[in-house]
Amino acid sequence: MIVRKSNIQTFHASTEHPLPIILDGDPGHDDAIAWVLVRSRPEFRILCVTSVCGNQTIEKTTYNAGRIMALLGMDVPLAMGLAKPLFRDPIIADTVHGKTGLDGPELPEPACQPVACSAAELMAKCLEESEEPVVIVPTGPLTNVASLLLLYPELKSKIRHISLMGGGIARGNWTPAAEFNILVDPDAAKIVFESGIPITMASLDVTERALVYPEDFERIRCVGNQVASVVAGWLEFFYHFHQSLGYPGAPVHDAVAVTALLRPDILSGRDLYVQIETTGEFCRGATVGDLNRVSGKPANAYCLMDINRDAFVDLLVDAVAYYG
Amino acid sequence: MNLCCEGENIREIWVNDMTEKEMKSDVEMKRVPLFIDCDTGVDDAMALLCAAKMKSFDLIGVAAVAGNVALDKTLPNTLNVLALAGRTDVPVYKGADKPLARPLVSAPHVHGLNGLGGVELAPSPRKEEPETAWDALYNAAMEHEDLVLVAVGPLTNVAKAFIKYRELPKRLAKIVIMGGAAVGGNTTPCTEFNVVTDPEAADIVFNSGVPVVMCGLDVTLKAYLTGDELNELVKLGTPQAIFSYQSQQNALKYELSKGLPGICLHDPAALFFAEDEAMFTARKAGIRVETRGSITVGKTVTDLDSDKKMPYREHRVVLDIDREAFRERLFTLMRKYGEV
Repeated sequence: MIVRKSNIQTFHASTEHPLPIILDGDPGHDDAIAWVLVRSRPEFRILCVTSVCGNQTIEKTTYNAGRIMALLGMDVPLAMGLAKPLFRDPIIADTVHGKTGLDGPELPEPACQPVACSAAELMAKCLEESEEPVVIVPTGPLTNVASLLLLYPELKSKIRHISLMGGGIARGNWTPAAEFNILVDPDAAKIVFESGIPITMASLDVTERALVYPEDFERIRCVGNQVASVVAGWLEFFYHFHQSLGYPGAPVHDAVAVTALLRPDILSGRDLYVQIETTGEFCRGATVGDLNRVSGKPANAYCLMDINRDAFVDLLVDAVAYYG
Repeated sequence: MNLCCEGENIREIWVNDMTEKEMKSDVEMKRVPLFIDCDTGVDDAMALLCAAKMKSFDLIGVAAVAGNVALDKTLPNTLNVLALAGRTDVPVYKGADKPLARPLVSAPHVHGLNGLGGVELAPSPRKEEPETAWDALYNAAMEHEDLVLVAVGPLTNVAKAFIKYRELPKRLAKIVIMGGAAVGGNTTPCTEFNVVTDPEAADIVFNSGVPVVMCGLDVTLKAYLTGDELNELVKLGTPQAIFSYQSQQNALKYELSKGLPGICLHDPAALFFAEDEAMFTARKAGIRVETRGSITVGKTVTDLDSDKKMPYREHRVVLDIDREAFRERLFTLMRKYGEV
């Protein structure tokens, strides 16, 4: 596979110097697996977790975040995000993630309650306290990240990079032109993409190639610990929906945003100028990438396009093995 | 023979011996009536020169529309190119001078101020017909039940015909357009020139309940001639070849400056698809045109790879071309101008 260098994402995480990271998501099966991967790696130092409404209501995604943190032994503060997108009503994906937003295997109850402040406030506090710039990994709608940028513009310089799951240059999923996370809060996405903060975009273009096949579920289950069996159960549930659409495996979208920071060598992509459509009849929520360079604008995002699937699955198997 | 390319990524390899095939077609095949709607334009001119020599088609009418340049240029350009092709027998119709709901934004930076890369052609002895483009298309469809429409400019004329004559779409045997792009753009990051010039017209055509073949940038950016191949073309030495070479120079320079490998022959690609699909790959899809977005007006939205599908999915998006076969076909047709 071709590995293309990016001028936007010029670094990757290393064990000598762990990356301070903020996890912001709407778990969600693939958010959960992304967090399993983050927690397993010494290359990351998790500062906090924030929940966002997306796959399910904010109450449910926050509860799920707490349950995942208990499962993984993640002892960092959790804050609840806004109850709805910046200027719009919520859209949920219960057809994909179930009634709870994380249907499937049983999980421990949250070990602690969310902190009293908002998601944006907790992010701001972590940024302020961090000695070095922080990487944010949003795997849901960008409501919290946009709120942070609106409320604390002075902290922008403390954000080193945003590695997000969202969008699709050549494809959509929730509508023909738009991917779910961006569609839910396109106004927030516009703020983030126009912020000037370097972005790595794990869009459907790559994440629908990050397929974990049913035979891989067994490989993961065979690792034999509690996290392994939970992850295998999540994959089975998540695959069920995608199987009905004809996918040969479960696209573990959100874990690609983490993989980008760990193993850029197993991904390829292009630096592109990306704009967000916030209105329109068919294109609301579209991520418009300037593939043919007709805008004359400089690139603002490293857009991932392909992944070495086998290496990605190996990474997930290694991640669950970390848990004993 | 039209080979079906409707499956997922089915690729048919071009294996026919054209000469033999055309000899056969002379004897066995009825010529299919063809109506071309265009905004001549350097690549439109190439399409007209090719169509004029196709044995499989009977070119029964050509309509001009405003697009690459204004109508007062595309109309005489159309007449004059047909005269250059020796086809003053073909009636030419005057179409719309502006898009349905927007002012015209033309592309003289690609096609030159006169639309033909600055090349002045001898004026045709023939004048345009009194009928409008939309009435002419309708009358042609009423007269010929197997009429093929190849529309390679903004779809203003076609949309006007569809609005005026409700039953017209179903009377057309095949509609192939050059326009749009499932992915990417050439005018804005996500729009192609013909569709963004009149997005409302394009959406009327895609939403008319009949299948449309979209030969957009997905395939036409691969249907190019390199500078060297253009040099080969001019060696044919005919007035038509020399015109093709000269008229394309400005567009070639422009496209090379954009990082393309040569001059894209967008419109001939659509014409060739209408003639024989064998050198192409196409997939079925739903297609609509965004007419209201803030940055996406004119985007042809397809559901090719989306989980969510559109209610009507009988259109086809052409995605790939055997460029060698394309070039061969083009040269075969252009060589006919040297034959007695």
